[in-house]
Amino acid sequence: MNAIFAAIFLAAAVIFCICDPAEFLPAMLTGGERAATLTLTLLASYCVWLGFFKVMEQSGLSAMLSRRLYPLSRRLFRSDDQSALSDACQNIAANLLGLPGAPTPLGVAATGKFLAANNNYAADMLFVLNATSLQLLPTTVIALRAAAGSANAADILLPTLLATLLSTLIGAGLVALTGRKCRT
Amino acid sequence: MPYIALIIPLLFAALFAFALFKKVRLYDCFTEGVKGAIPLAVSLFPYLAVVLILSELFEQSGLSQALTALIAPALNALGIPPEIAKLVLIKPFSGSGATAVLSELFAAYGADSYIARCACVAFGSSETVFYVSAVYFAGHKKKLLRPIVIALAANFLSVVLGCFLCRFL
Repeated sequence: MNAIFAAIFLAAAVIFCICDPAEFLPAMLTGGERAATLTLTLLASYCVWLGFFKVMEQSGLSAMLSRRLYPLSRRLFRSDDQSALSDACQNIAANLLGLPGAPTPLGVAATGKFLAANNNYAADMLFVLNATSLQLLPTTVIALRAAAGSANAADILLPTLLATLLSTLIGAGLVALTGRKCRT
Repeated sequence: MPYIALIIPLLFAALFAFALFKKVRLYDCFTEGVKGAIPLAVSLFPYLAVVLILSELFEQSGLSQALTALIAPALNALGIPPEIAKLVLIKPFSGSGATAVLSELFAAYGADSYIARCACVAFGSSETVFYVSAVYFAGHKKKLLRPIVIALAANFLSVVLGCFLCRFL
């Protein structure tokens, strides 16, 4: 991340110096502004979902779900940490359902627990699953396409689903293959 | 597909009914959960800010256009229309940036064109890799190269397959 940051930052700074030096600072400030508004949007969804997940936890539903999925999730993440696995499973479920903003708090919590136990493999697996799009129904795209006047906005469903399934399988497979050597 | 909208209210209703049955004090419990919202947002904020500043520089410096022009022929060889190269490039950095590009493509080529359909599949089957990595690994000292490369490669393959499938489906 440090290398990517340095490379993009320097390249952009040089281009701005040549083309339009006055626009450099405004571009960065736009980024900061977007971070501020996005954080507020995310905060709003955390308010809803963190309340929801607490109710799930206290009603015993989380524990029930994670017990059911334990045999599977234990192997997927190569971890025995019940509470981290429970968060990870709920993160995946929230991703599949496409609940906006809901996977993040669970994913952050699970990643923190995996890394605290020095389980890099599990953290990488969870990240790749999240970063290859697990959504069953690409609702955002369908809504955008319908808004743009498409006659059949949902007809991209099948190719999207197949493509995303393939990318998730390949991503998870690559993590499993390359992670074996450095298993802790 | 209006019934998709039913998922969320049904989910809440079912959970709350179950929680009442289990004698959970709903108000106290929900409030307890929301307590974590501000600390979470505060801890993620610096990482979000840096990624978004970076994505803004990437886009506004013209770096993204230059790279787009550079990779378009290579994408074309893989069956990805060059028109959606910009989308493929922006998506790992910024979801809102990708949404803007998608809207431009709809306006330029029509929402039912082959290019728009490819763009939809590319958008829907890939994820904001750098953004997710910034948020998930926030504050952890960890080597990120391997997971990020894997995620980018998997996302790219899904775009290739998606564009291929769009010709038949």
